[in-house]
Amino acid sequence: MNLSTLKNKNLQEVNSLLDIKDRDILAERFVSLGLPSKKSEEYRYFDVEKLLEKEYKTLTYVPKTLRVSEKIEIVDGVVVAGPQGMRIYNEPCGQLDMDHFDPLYYLGHLLSPHAIKIELDGDVEVEIEHKYTQSDALINYRIVLYTQSNRHATVYENFVSENIKDSLVLYGYDMHIAQDSSLRVVKMQSMQNSGYSMVASHKINVERNAHAVYKSFDLGGDNALQLIKVELAERAEVDAGHLLYLNSEAKRGTVTQIVHRGEHSRSKQEAKNILDGDSRGIFDALIRVEETGKFTKAHQNSKAILLHDKAYMAAKPQLEIYIDELEASHGATTGQLSEKQLFYLQSRGITRIEARKMLVIAFANTLIETVKDSRHQERIKQAFDDVFYAGHEG
Amino acid sequence: MSIMKIENLEAKIGDKQILKGLNLELEPGKVHAIMGPNGAGKSTLSKALVGHYDIELLGGNIIYKGKNINDMEAEERALEGLFLSFQHPVEIPGVNNAYFLRTALNAKRKHEGKEELNSAEFLRLMRDHLEMLGMKSDMISRSLNEGFSGGEKKRNEILQMLILEPDVIILDEIDSGLDIDALRAVSEGINKMKDGKRSFLVITHYSRILDYIEPDYIHVLKDGKVIKTAGPELVAQLEEHGYDGIEEA
Repeated sequence: MNLSTLKNKNLQEVNSLLDIKDRDILAERFVSLGLPSKKSEEYRYFDVEKLLEKEYKTLTYVPKTLRVSEKIEIVDGVVVAGPQGMRIYNEPCGQLDMDHFDPLYYLGHLLSPHAIKIELDGDVEVEIEHKYTQSDALINYRIVLYTQSNRHATVYENFVSENIKDSLVLYGYDMHIAQDSSLRVVKMQSMQNSGYSMVASHKINVERNAHAVYKSFDLGGDNALQLIKVELAERAEVDAGHLLYLNSEAKRGTVTQIVHRGEHSRSKQEAKNILDGDSRGIFDALIRVEETGKFTKAHQNSKAILLHDKAYMAAKPQLEIYIDELEASHGATTGQLSEKQLFYLQSRGITRIEARKMLVIAFANTLIETVKDSRHQERIKQAFDDVFYAGHEG
Repeated sequence: MSIMKIENLEAKIGDKQILKGLNLELEPGKVHAIMGPNGAGKSTLSKALVGHYDIELLGGNIIYKGKNINDMEAEERALEGLFLSFQHPVEIPGVNNAYFLRTALNAKRKHEGKEELNSAEFLRLMRDHLEMLGMKSDMISRSLNEGFSGGEKKRNEILQMLILEPDVIILDEIDSGLDIDALRAVSEGINKMKDGKRSFLVITHYSRILDYIEPDYIHVLKDGKVIKTAGPELVAQLEEHGYDGIEEA
């Protein structure tokens, strides 16, 4: 399949190309937004056309009977294992966002009529492992997460791949965080030469008094973009953090839209970007406070450190505000490691490479330390070490 | 035989030449005090000795333990036993003080062919030093120098010195910004390091620190050169007549 054949097509043509049944409304949204290109604002810094123009093999969707496992395992977009007693289904996704900014959110749903539905009952902590085994493939799937009211769930997300090359992963979540509940998601992607590019398109719906925490630790190679839309109801909160550590020619980043719908809603978003080699980091984030979002508190910040003169950071924090009664701030800075600090460490016998690593980790630490679980914190630090030394070989 | 010999050293920072043919010898086990007016080149000398990136050497030699170290990297100099206590220690948010100290100590131990210390062994080593310096134990779990008062930063410099056990210790304005109690604690730490082999280069504007750390030699630095070297009795002369009253020897 070549996704670029969907370019500039009308509803009828898209319907016939994708063999869509009863989902005209999704196709309409997709057609109205159009297939992303370098002219699309949200894909401006990401070479999406190159990914969409490639010919991929399509994988036949065959649902599996779930094996019992400590973690939820998803192989090439099909859930194959999960913890005993956890409610995991394959079924059509309801409650879609009909105002998402990302056309690939709709394309993802159109290509994946059956979503993986996970009901996070009670106070649970679960790991989701995404595994990719197919080369030259279009791997598309959607996941729906539900929390229960008054419950607190945590999801740790990891990615592995097996000697693959040139695949494209289109996946994403629709997260429904029920009233008075919380969901903490820690996404960790650390593969170098992973063999696939990824576009992850999410929707996070945070109901009244609910709390979402979304922390992504992206230390991957290749190309990846996560596009997230968050909607906050009255007194709902989101705490988002994005750590990006790239080297060689990786192009990766985050595009977000946080919409404050309800009064007294709060958002905090912090991005830390460490860019080495010829890499490009992307942080394109909009906070929109609607007329109904009085007394909102919204804070957004992006900091980048460039470790190489060819590295590039595209940071675009934005506020769109329709009321006066709120507290909001945003900002972006880009700099380099401090020579003063490096010298101080070196003057105590620490090599320049180690000193650089210490400073890079120090920069990242404020985000790493937000991961409460020490095992996962260590895993992130270890991945950091691996990526750092891989970039300093020779 | 000197542990360090500085021969006709010339150095600049940016376009400005600061050291203009400086000669100095440090004897093992001795305390050398460098005194001089503002702009004489005292801090430039300390930076030149530890290989600071600001400094460009124009001529001369720094011979340390019989080896020319002009082109040696800062970390190699440190591993070989050179230590500078900074006048203004830099704050490094996010780098844990204990982790930093253990990394530095283990780098030195590895360089010396010794086994590295694990966390427990390291903490035991730290405990005594902390008490002696009047440092709160939480200071080692905080970020390196972040939010430390002037006195705490200087105590932290001395803590590093005690842990790393260098052979030549350069103290750049160690007394600046210290109250009497801090000055006493810092001086006690320095005096504890005197072992008859280790050399000290105490760079100072004022004689106050020399009441606590007794010098063997006083060197007066002016306009990028050592213009006079004498015993501790020179301090009184400087107190009375100032630097203008000192003639080049």
